[in-house]
Amino acid sequence: MRARSTLFLIFACLASWGVLLAQKPFHDYMPELVANGQTEAAMEWRTGQLRVPSDWNVPHEWTRARLKYTSAGILHPQAHTGWMGWATDYPDGDRNFQIGLKRLTTMDTTSVEHVSELDGSDDVYNFPFLYAVEPGHWNLFEDEADQLREYLDRGGFLMTDDFHGTVEWANFLKGLQKVFGNRPIVDIDNTDPIFHVIYDLGKRVQIPGKQFLQSGVPYEFDGFEPKWRAIYDTQGRIVVAICHNMDLSDAIEHANDPEYPEEWANMAYRIATNYVVYDLTH
Amino acid sequence: MFEFLFKYSRTVFNQGNFVFLNSWPVWMLWAGIAAAAAGLGFLIWRKGGAATPVRSVLVWLLQAALAALLLFMIWRPALSVSTLKPQQNIVAVLVDDSSSMATKDEGDAARKDRATKVLTDGLLQKLKDKFQVRVYRMSDHLARIEGLDQLNAQSPVTHIGPSLKQVVADAASLPIGAMVVLSDGADNTGGVDLETIAEIRRQRIPVHTIGFGREQMQRDIEISNVELPQRTLPESRLSALVTFHQHGFTGQKAKITIRDNNKVLAAQDVTLKAEGAEQLETVLFNAGPAGVRMIQAFIDPLPNEENLRNNIVTRMVNVDKRKPRILYLEGEPRWEFKFARRAVEDDQSIDLVTILRTAPNKLYRQGVKSADELKNGFPTTVEELFAFDGLMFGSVDAAYLTPQQLQNVKDFVDRRGGGLAFLGGKDALADGGWQATPVAEVMPTTLPDKKGTFQWTPANVRLTPQGSESLITRLEDDPKKNDKRFEDLPYIRNVQDVGTPKLGALVLAEAVPMNGGGKALPLLITMNYGRGRSAIFATSGSWRWQMLQDKSDMSHEMFYRQFLRWMVTDTPAHVTGSTPRSLMADESVAQLRATVKDKTFMPAADAVVEARIIGEGVTETVAMTPDQGEPGTFTLDWTAPKQGDYLVEVIAKRGDQELGRDAFTFRREDGTAENFHIEQNRALLEKLSSETKGNYYKPADAQQLGEDITYSEGGISVRETRDLWDMPILFLAFLMIRAVEWLLRRKWGTI
Repeated sequence: MRARSTLFLIFACLASWGVLLAQKPFHDYMPELVANGQTEAAMEWRTGQLRVPSDWNVPHEWTRARLKYTSAGILHPQAHTGWMGWATDYPDGDRNFQIGLKRLTTMDTTSVEHVSELDGSDDVYNFPFLYAVEPGHWNLFEDEADQLREYLDRGGFLMTDDFHGTVEWANFLKGLQKVFGNRPIVDIDNTDPIFHVIYDLGKRVQIPGKQFLQSGVPYEFDGFEPKWRAIYDTQGRIVVAICHNMDLSDAIEHANDPEYPEEWANMAYRIATNYVVYDLTH
Repeated sequence: MFEFLFKYSRTVFNQGNFVFLNSWPVWMLWAGIAAAAAGLGFLIWRKGGAATPVRSVLVWLLQAALAALLLFMIWRPALSVSTLKPQQNIVAVLVDDSSSMATKDEGDAARKDRATKVLTDGLLQKLKDKFQVRVYRMSDHLARIEGLDQLNAQSPVTHIGPSLKQVVADAASLPIGAMVVLSDGADNTGGVDLETIAEIRRQRIPVHTIGFGREQMQRDIEISNVELPQRTLPESRLSALVTFHQHGFTGQKAKITIRDNNKVLAAQDVTLKAEGAEQLETVLFNAGPAGVRMIQAFIDPLPNEENLRNNIVTRMVNVDKRKPRILYLEGEPRWEFKFARRAVEDDQSIDLVTILRTAPNKLYRQGVKSADELKNGFPTTVEELFAFDGLMFGSVDAAYLTPQQLQNVKDFVDRRGGGLAFLGGKDALADGGWQATPVAEVMPTTLPDKKGTFQWTPANVRLTPQGSESLITRLEDDPKKNDKRFEDLPYIRNVQDVGTPKLGALVLAEAVPMNGGGKALPLLITMNYGRGRSAIFATSGSWRWQMLQDKSDMSHEMFYRQFLRWMVTDTPAHVTGSTPRSLMADESVAQLRATVKDKTFMPAADAVVEARIIGEGVTETVAMTPDQGEPGTFTLDWTAPKQGDYLVEVIAKRGDQELGRDAFTFRREDGTAENFHIEQNRALLEKLSSETKGNYYKPADAQQLGEDITYSEGGISVRETRDLWDMPILFLAFLMIRAVEWLLRRKWGTI
């Protein structure tokens, strides 16, 4: 009987380990980011306002995965000091968005995001919606690009946001071409369902980040015009949604900032919500 | 020996009636026997002396038996038997002339030649000496022949019953005294019907049969049956249930091949089981594109097999061009919804229409035919709902539907005959309150009456034995590989407690918790209800089968496609035409049937239905007759004039309004049934003889028939009495009783 119990315990442990291998547990990166001195939310975190929600471990149907990538050093002076571009607007940009989704739609979302890497593990496949911020600074390695391609071919969806101007576009493109070769990147037509699946977004404006409050201009670098672009698969479905020359994530992160214009925050929520619901319907 | 002991042949006893010729009443015989027994008993008792009671009883029994035997003989037992009057009666000799009689299974001579030899070796002459003899060849019809050389054993069918019936009909005007049937008993109509037997008995014509052919093949494998659906959807996976038996190959390997004309669709190696026992094997194959398929199940010939013609069976499958519509109502945007849609997106035979509640007051429709379709959400009328073939509910609260809509959903399964499926979810099934709705009745489980049944428990999937055989869960043709493939599927992250499966429900798969803490829960359950069917797939986590496996893996797509096809393949249209046998082997009368329903799927008994039949040079429009016992059903027995393919289109109208139409095909094929069951069907021949007071003969004993045939009550006959008192067996019995008594007394030392 004891031998059977021991075997059972070993089996249970192995099974649990198998699950862990497939899906990594939630990890809060704030301590590392604060130590790195790069997050504008450091004060809130230190004062306890940005602690992980108490229900962080309650499972729900939908979680957004944030892509953790290596930054390309040449484009940003802070990169040399270990700047982690992937974590821009983390975690408020994620958590505010998921709260918003729960409120605005019938979706069942978790209270926290999931940070995932293209590290060859199965972790990222557990989250078919992947969000990459500041991809104008990413440095995708070949094996990461291969895994991203596999992820998208299996049915995953990639949304990119918060990169601006021609230099960042060129670096973004460099990474994306490792994934898709020369598959065309096209401007999304206004009639595409992604702009109508839940909100009719035929008319859109450029959504600036919080920098607008200091600069007074809605663009960064030479990214004067917002671009709504995409890569489609062979079935005519968007698999990579590219939000260039805009900062939806910042708008959502600062949606509760009295100084940030409400109409832009609303528009950012609507666009991002449409993108998510589009993914879940196509 | 029989005739030596009993004085007459068995036939006389079979044909005759037992009588006593003594004019004294029979009761006096019984009284005499009783009196003799009593008297003997009294005498033995009085003289008992030193004899033990056992000895006294034995002696009494023997002496009483002797007295009874004597009294029996005094009463003059006899047989009253009818005999045919010489030269005044006709004997009909029916020789089987079907192709099975060409079989050479006993030496070099064909069965037909052996039958001819039996007749020419003296039997025919014996019959001619006493009667007028008419010789017939028996195949699909009966024809009189002048000489045995007209037999060729080439007819594709044998109809013994109708042939006998024809002779009986002749008996009304001709003095037919007896029939002689020379056959292997391989009848293609399944035997001789009771009506024919009754008519023969009424005319009192004995049918004597002579059987030819081995009663059991020594080395042969024969396909007994192939079960296939008559209709299916394009590219559907079908299972052919092939039943066969064999003699002489036990333990050997055989290969079953499924072909469409000459194109091999599937092949499967099997090990042959017990001698003579029916063996059932399932072979899966793809039905292919729309059109009529002539599916052949074929078993490769085995070494020295005696009959190769019974190794192949053909079935007709109509692969319909229709595209059933399934309405999927989902309560929340979630990945199961996305991946379910994607799984069937490329399926040309399924039209998945979805309504997604994106927000509490917003719906997103996909797959609708027009901007107006379902613009108000889930159908509110029966007509609108019943236009679909299947319904699927995701994570949606039952309260989202009105009571009338819920009743319509129940009727959708029960009355309309549609397929209904539920997926797991936080607002699905018991958590969505479905257990308190009319729909609960058609569900395959009794849902728990509580909330919190949707559990975030990582689990693996395990197929049950029923699941291993089900077409819904067949990812691999080989059942063992299929079980393994399911075990190897990525885990599901959640499972819902669906309660207890109902009687008649099938649990196809279980969710086995990975942490080892909980018991396995039913995951995929199906059930037939009313005219339709229902299923529960109690998770929203199967999308991981897609995301956590290589992009080339099709497990998730296959599962959903097969699941949805199961839901709608048998969902009827308003008008459904059918025939019990789409391939008529050696039959000419097609039984056509149409089921007609109105827009609300109530039987349209007042419809006018006609069948347009086209094929083999025939174009006919024939009215179908309402079946009084089954409202809304119309039938027609139509004779296909020759072999070939026929297309039937049934059209139902109510007044000027057309209720619907349906088309199907059938084929008449001659000459195939004769290739099967070629062993001698002795049981049929013996039954035919015994029920008509005739005899069954082996060819070696057939000459005896020349004598036996005289005894018949048919034709022109006279009744004769044959004494039985002088049967040798009675005298032998007399001597034996006396001898036994003498021996006993010797042993006891009393003499």
